[in-house]
Amino acid sequence: MGGQACVLYGGAEFSRDTDIVVLADDDNLGRLAAAVAELEADVVAVPPFSRSHLEAGHAVHFRCRAGGVEGMRLDVMARIRGLPDFTTLWQRRTTIDTAAGPIEALSLPDLVTAKKTQRDKDWPMITRLVEADYAAHGPRADTPRTVFWLRELRTPSILVDVTRSAADVSASLVPKRPLLAAALAADVAGVAAGLAAEEAREREADRIYWAPLRQELERLRLERRR
Amino acid sequence: MDTQPIDWAELVGAEWAEWYAMTPQERFEASSKLWQTYLELGGSLDPEPDSQSPFYSDEERRAFAAHGRPGLRVVRRGGI
Repeated sequence: MGGQACVLYGGAEFSRDTDIVVLADDDNLGRLAAAVAELEADVVAVPPFSRSHLEAGHAVHFRCRAGGVEGMRLDVMARIRGLPDFTTLWQRRTTIDTAAGPIEALSLPDLVTAKKTQRDKDWPMITRLVEADYAAHGPRADTPRTVFWLRELRTPSILVDVTRSAADVSASLVPKRPLLAAALAADVAGVAAGLAAEEAREREADRIYWAPLRQELERLRLERRR
Repeated sequence: MDTQPIDWAELVGAEWAEWYAMTPQERFEASSKLWQTYLELGGSLDPEPDSQSPFYSDEERRAFAAHGRPGLRVVRRGGI
């Protein structure tokens, strides 16, 4: 779900850790515990590895010590802001065959949602991910994919192109994404202003979502120091 | 109404256009090679410090650094 997934979909991120999302039930967390034991991985930082922390939306951070993966960081989450539960994410996943074996990645729309954070680096990544999908499939695609582009593209000139070729669908989505009205009018500056406003709203929503979780992390850090 | 084909090299630059044109498998292989080179050069596995991350703690970053050392640092930059 992290940098490696972005690489597969056409973004480029030199991510030094591996981020995974898991089903946080007792059976599966037992399997995860066995896997991290095989990797000789220890929890670093807070919170500790527990179902309750994962269900609360925290990430648990491991560092591996086993031969071949020494020093490798593994970050585990079970809930991501804006996304449904793991079962739905798993049903929507993309399986990508590689020389190293199949990789189960978040679907592209889910990955894009996961990247709508308060971090500067995630926003250019969203732009790249959707551009890459458009480069691979555009300009003619089925309606679901066109709707995905209309909802998520962050490149003004391409948004104007897509609304031009799919005017009816675009018009129907204006209530959900008001900047499409500017795109339909070929108002590139208006689209850019709308994109900036969207980004600001999502960053603020992410800050609000994380505020109580950050407080809890701080409390756990204090407890650990005592 | 038809749209003009996008000149991706012009829009995003030649490197990005080339990256977009690859298959997921090709990108995975290219990324793996880059990783190999990075590790051979002694690159650190510590995630880059990211003070905007909700998980970020400067104290923990120092306490849990891999091998007890910081990541690669740029000690010299070439001029333009």
